[in-house]
Formats: sequence, structure tokens, C-alpha cells
Amino acid sequence: MNTSKKQRAASWQVIIVVLFVVYMILPIIATYIFSIATRWDRTILPEGYTFEGYREAIKNPYFFITLKNSLVLSVASVLVSLIVIVPTVYWVHMRLPGAKPLLDLLMILPFGIPGVVLALALVQVYNFAPINRSPILLTAATVVFTMPFMYRSVSNNLEAVDIPTLTEAAQSLGANLFNILTRVIIPNIFPGILSGSLLVFATVFAEFTLARLIVGAGFKTFPMLLVEYTRKDGTIAAGLSVISFSIAWIVSMLILWVSNKGIKSSKDVINAR
Amino acid sequence: MAYLELNDVSKKFNNIVAVNQFNLHIEKGQLVSFLGPSGCGKTTTLRMIAGFETPDAGTILLDGEDISKTAPNKRGIGMVFQAYALFPNMTIRENIMFGLKMQHKSKEEMAERTDNVLELVRLKDTAKRYPHQLSGGQQQRIALARALAIQPRVLLLDEPLSALDAEVRVVLRGEIRRIQSSLGITTVYVTHDQEEALSISDRVVVMNGGLIEQVGTPQEIYRKPDTRFVATFIGTANEFHGAVAENQTVNCEQINISTSRVADYTIGKKVVVLVRPENIEVFDERPVGSLNNLFEGEIDTITFHGAITRLGINSGGRMFTADVNITGRNALTHHQHVWLSFNSDYCQVMPEA
Amino acid sequence: MTQSKPKQNRFTAWLGILPFLLFCLAFEIVPILLLAKDSLFTKDGTLTVSNFQNAMAPLYIRSFWNSIKLSGLTALIGTLIGLLVGYSIYRWPSKRMQEVLITLSDVTTNFAGAPLAFAFIIILGSNGLVTQFFLKNLNIALYPAFSVYSFSGLVLAYVYFQLPLMVLLIIPAFGGIKKEWRESATNLGAGSFQFWWNIGLPILAPSLIAGFVLLFANAFGAYATAYTLTGSKLSLITLQIGFTITGEVLHDPGIGQAMAVISLLIMGTCIAIYRAATTRAQRWTRR
Repeated sequence: MNTSKKQRAASWQVIIVVLFVVYMILPIIATYIFSIATRWDRTILPEGYTFEGYREAIKNPYFFITLKNSLVLSVASVLVSLIVIVPTVYWVHMRLPGAKPLLDLLMILPFGIPGVVLALALVQVYNFAPINRSPILLTAATVVFTMPFMYRSVSNNLEAVDIPTLTEAAQSLGANLFNILTRVIIPNIFPGILSGSLLVFATVFAEFTLARLIVGAGFKTFPMLLVEYTRKDGTIAAGLSVISFSIAWIVSMLILWVSNKGIKSSKDVINAR
Repeated sequence: MAYLELNDVSKKFNNIVAVNQFNLHIEKGQLVSFLGPSGCGKTTTLRMIAGFETPDAGTILLDGEDISKTAPNKRGIGMVFQAYALFPNMTIRENIMFGLKMQHKSKEEMAERTDNVLELVRLKDTAKRYPHQLSGGQQQRIALARALAIQPRVLLLDEPLSALDAEVRVVLRGEIRRIQSSLGITTVYVTHDQEEALSISDRVVVMNGGLIEQVGTPQEIYRKPDTRFVATFIGTANEFHGAVAENQTVNCEQINISTSRVADYTIGKKVVVLVRPENIEVFDERPVGSLNNLFEGEIDTITFHGAITRLGINSGGRMFTADVNITGRNALTHHQHVWLSFNSDYCQVMPEA
Repeated sequence: MTQSKPKQNRFTAWLGILPFLLFCLAFEIVPILLLAKDSLFTKDGTLTVSNFQNAMAPLYIRSFWNSIKLSGLTALIGTLIGLLVGYSIYRWPSKRMQEVLITLSDVTTNFAGAPLAFAFIIILGSNGLVTQFFLKNLNIALYPAFSVYSFSGLVLAYVYFQLPLMVLLIIPAFGGIKKEWRESATNLGAGSFQFWWNIGLPILAPSLIAGFVLLFANAFGAYATAYTLTGSKLSLITLQIGFTITGEVLHDPGIGQAMAVISLLIMGTCIAIYRAATTRAQRWTRR
């Protein structure tokens, strides 16, 4: 039975939350406004508004090149990540639970390696053609970096749905391996796969450090163009930031939508009163 | 004047009445149980005594003073929770001393009381351990010790044994009773397990849907239930619905029951007659002499319960449940023809609702 | 689960994760190990600690110190304020609002990098929004005493993504404080302060430590935000390592390697402490 303590939040709590929200939102809103401002260095609000910044940005051939590069990089990272991680997670869960501690350890590793260090290591080891300072090396690096996100997403999904029992039930009802995979397993871990993919996509799209240090000008990504503009033209830089933020927001909302729609765990069903 | 008084206490949650005009007087030193099914309001009432819920109406008096508005940390009431609630970051000793620290007791007094109370629950050598190193039963005993250490005026227990194994439960409830009566501490005990309530209480308060159904000693509750609910909630009973007829009988469809208990009822009144299975005698052959309430039938079901065996006997379409002790009897078989009888005094009669 | 698997089966089972292990070895483990090994050798192949000695040059010592100061300070601020913000969100009466705030934290903690740095230039630059607000409305001149391109500017930018991270970590930890403990403590006579001092904070402590350490590592390894904000004015260890890769500094790979190894040791320690602390935290809240 719920206690009827409908407490109102204490006033200090309200103040803290308000300050927190302001601190979080202010930079973002300022960026959005700056991207369409004519002049904003003398007043609280801009003196005028225009989309000129965006028009200029699009005129730059590098705008679409970098956008394309970043998209390609992100999608490639997602695909490689899926291929490398999903079967592994499934395999460990089903047939090799003893390897779970090893897997957990490997998934914590990327958090302990700063981007610059990974970049340094990879650039020095793979200093031979054709992989030398190539987008392929970069993709490998981004996959390593985002491994934990894909792993955690798929792994949580697997644990919530009790795949082993479902598999056994399917087997007892006569399904073969292909059917089990396509009708039982993949549909049930799809939310985890989708969330993980979105997370990897968003992280790689915004990735600057690895792109700049491993390939540099040979494969310009969107964030690199953004940094260039921060030193050249503030309005355009703000516009690019807006695009960056917006993509990140959209992906976050998608992830939320997926996870809210998604994982019905066995526990949820049992606990449904 | 009673030591603990609840007067017209009521509580609602979101328009659902949890407790409805609860009135109870508890004498000092008594162990009173609140017994009832889930949602009957027993825990809510207990929490109001503790101060974790505020009554919407009514007052709670402890030793003459109104504590309804007193903060829960100032009532001097000890509480034992269902989930033990021992603080995981403290040793057993530190857990027990916590309440004493809050009372700003001297170091010597804290040490003495802690030792005494550990001795009382017979867990002296666990003092330096941490809660997660103890079994469920041990943790609950420590929780009891911790509540007693502050020498509370009243002890409250909220389904303290529900989370424990059956065996541990039986042993522990005896311990709780022993400690309670040796200390003479006024205690309120909430449970949904009737065996628990009946075995350790001075008085039992049977609750249902926020209301008190009956208050009485365990024997009274069991032998003389006031309402249908109490009669069926406590133990099992054979139910016969009928109307009062002449000569102190009740006409219940196929059978007539003779019982002195309808002496004060008018003829024609609709009543329910209740007979407990242990009060029905079962005979292999027709018994000699004239017995009241003699029926014959066939054994339909036989369920072995260890100490007793429960028989379902079909008598002319009516089912009787009777408990027998099979020691020294001839073996009973399905479809065996038997006779059964019960004394007219061993019935409980109440008006049809 | 039958444990009596024939030897072959066990072997083939491990084979199943071979592709993944190879990937990790090839692109993560082996390169790092080689890096560590190389740091102990000079360019011509003699075993030496000279790389590490060179890495102790004043420039690099300053960079290390800056990194540690920055990471420690933002981790501390993030932990303390994050604790209060997290608690306030945890106790917020509206569940929907709670979800909104948690989502906000989730999104903003990933905003580190160039766009964030630039956003701070917009609001705290010499003509920035907030700078002007302070000047025009509160008559306080932030410049030249303060500069967004300085250490304090960096701190403010880092706190932006540190704070929500702590919030996300601490809210579940509050959930681990069982209601019965609070009620039991109250019943035994404790007021709010005494509960938090004796029980609440001690139970929360492992999570706070885990959070602090994670925040420290998070800041220590960050690159893009600092790169955008400071260029070469303020030196951090990650920036220095970056310079050795892009060849903007006299090309002696040894120093970069030595700095990288030291960074790894620091990060590794953080992760180890983090693991130990979260295990402890789980042990208490699981019971």
C-alpha cells in the first residue's frame, strides 16, 4: 500500500533543480539563437535574425563532404559493432557463461583508455599501407570506443528476456535453428540492438578526437569542420553545432521511444497485477 | 484506564477507506494481535500507532497522553519490521546501540543495555558481525533486540515472521512471546497467520475491510465467532443455512439440526449454523443409543494431515467435513458407509446476513 | 546447466568468441601493450627510462598537474553538486518530471566536445550572453579577471558534462536506501540529520566514491572540449599526447608514449577503485 505522503519538494530542492536545468539548457539555447543572429556582441538578445549563416555553410563543398563522411563512419561503426558484438554476447549468454567476467572486463577497458592514447597506439602500430592513417583504422578505433554501449544494451535485453528458456520452449515445439533465430531470438533482442545501434551512431557521429588524430585532413568529419569554423566564423560554427545537437537530441528521443516500447521482461509479466 | 487507546481512528488513501472508526483499548502488558487478510487495514493501523501514517480522524492515547500528533521519532515506541531493516553499514552491536545513541545514553549504560538485550535474544556472540552474515531468523531476533534496547513503552511488530521459513517461524514466535511476557511489555502484533495469532496472543483483533470483526481471547475467537467472516477465517467450519423451527431445531434443506443455541431466536428466522470438523464424531457402525444430530453417509475424500485426517462425507447430497484421529481405528476407505454425529452444544449459530 | 561438458564442447564454445577476442587484441590490447613496451625503449632500440625522464620536463609536468587539477576539481564539484541535484530529483513528487530530468541528464552528459566548448564561448566569451548580462544588469565585469579560455572557463565547461553524469549515477544509489532503514531509524529516535549522518551517507559512500573516480577519469581523458577552448594556451596531458601524434611537436615518439603510459596507469587506478566501490555498494543494497 502506498503511503499518501504527497510531499511537495522542499524549496531548496526546487531551487537546485531550476539552477541545474538553466545551467544545462542555457548553452544549448544560446547556440541555437547565435546561429541565426546577425549581431550579438552588444546586447542580451541578438540585434537581428537571419539564416545567412546556414546558407553560407551549405555553400561550402566541405559541408556535404564532411556530413557524408561522418554518416558513413557512423553507419560503418554500427555495422561492424553489430557483427562483432551481438553474436558474441548471445554466444556467451547461451553457451559460455564462464566467459562473462572476461567480457565484462573487456567492456570496461575502453573507459580506461583515453582517446588520444588509443589513437597514438593504433597510429604507431599500424603505420604500414594500406591501413596507415585510413578511415578503416578509424572505424576500428570508433568500434573499440563504443563497444561498451552496444554490449550493455544488448546484454541487458538478453538478461531481461530469458532467451535460454524461450529457446528451449521453441525447440520443444519443433523449431529448427533458423526459425529460432529469426522468430524468437532476434525479435526479442531487437530493442536492445536498436538502442545500442542508435547510441553507437550518435557517439561516433560526434567523435572528434579519434578522427582528427588517426586520419586528420584525409577524411574530414563533421566535428572537424565544426572546429575549423570555431576559429573562422562563429555564426557558421554555431549553425553546425545546432545540426550536431539536433542529431543528438533526435537520436536520444528515438532511443527512449525504443526502450519504452520495447523490452517486456519476464519479470514485468509476472509482476503485472 | 487502558494503557494504549485508539478512539475512532480512521484513515483513507485516495478515497479508499483503509481503516474505519477503529476503537480499541489495550491493557498494559498485554500482547494483542491484529489478524486479517491482506488489505484489511491491520498494518495501516499499526503504522498509525507508530506515527508513520497520520489518522484522518480519531485519537491515539498512550498512558493517558495524546500521541496522535507526536513525531514518530519521539513516541518511545519500538518497532520490528517485516524486512528486519537492520542497518547494513553497522555491526550488530552498533545497530542495537543506535537507538541508545539517539537517547544520548552514557557509554556504560549503552554497553550494559546492549549486552542485556543480546542475552535476552540469545545472540551474544554475534555482536561484532554484520547483518548480512546472519540468517533471517537471527536478523529478526536482533531487530527485536534493537527495538527493546530503548525500553519502549509499547512494542509493535509488523508481520515479523512472514519472511522466514516455516520451522523458524514456529520457534521464533515462541521466543517473542517468552520475551514479551517476561518483560511485561505492551505489544501489538500484526499477522495474517491465524495459527500465529492464536498461539501467542492475550487478545486477538480480527479485521476485515478496515473494520473490526471481533475482539476476544483466542479461545473466544475460535469457539464463539461473532460473525460469518470470523468463523470462516479462523479454522474451518461446516456451514448449514436454514430457518429456525420448533423444538430448538433448524431446518436446513435436507437435514434438521438440533441445537440449544437457537433458544432465543424466533421461529422462521433465517440463520447459519456452523460446526467445526473436530467436533464431528465419525462411526464405522451405527452407534447405539439416541444421539442428537445423527447422520449417515459415504466417505468421499480422505486427506491425510499428519496429526488428523480430514474426511469429506457425503450425506444425502450434503457434504460434511470431519476431522478424525486414525490412531487405533480401522482403516477408512473411499465410499465406506459411516455415521456421524455432533453435540448440539458444539454449534455456533448466527443470523443470516 | 550440465557441468559435465566433454572437453571438445568447451573448446568449441570458446571458439565462438574468437572473432571478438581477435578484434579486441588487434585493435585494443596489442597496440596498447606495444605502446607500453615501446615507451621503455629509445628510437634505436635500447632499454631505457629516458622517455619517462624526458616526460618530466617542466612543460609536461605542468600539463600533468593541470590535468590532475582540472579532473580533480571538476570531479569534486560534480560529485558534491551532483549529489544535491540527484537527491532533489529523486525526491521530486512528479514522476513525469523526474523522467524528464533524468533524460535531460542522459543527453547532456554526452554533449562534451567542440560544440559544447563553442557554446560556452557564446555565453561566456568576452562578448558573451552571460558576460553581457553581468555587465549590463548586475554591473559586474567578468573580464579581464575571468576568461572562458582560461582554466576556470575550462572548469565550467567540464562541469557541464560532469554534473549530469553524477546525477545519473547517484539516483539509483538513492533507490538502494531502503525505506525501512529510514523508518527504523526514525522509530529509534533519529531525526533527519542523524539518519543521513549515521546511515544514509555511509551507505551512499561507495557510490559517491565510484562516481568521483569515474568523473575524474572522464575529465582526465577528455580532449575535444579542451582542444576547442584553449588551443595551445593551457596545457593538458591529453593535448600534449595529441601534439606528438600530429607532429606539431619535435618528433620524439618516446615522450608521447611515456605520457600515454602514465595516463593509462592513472586511468587504470580509477577504474580499479570504481569497480571495488560499486561491488561494495551492490553488496549492501542487495540484501
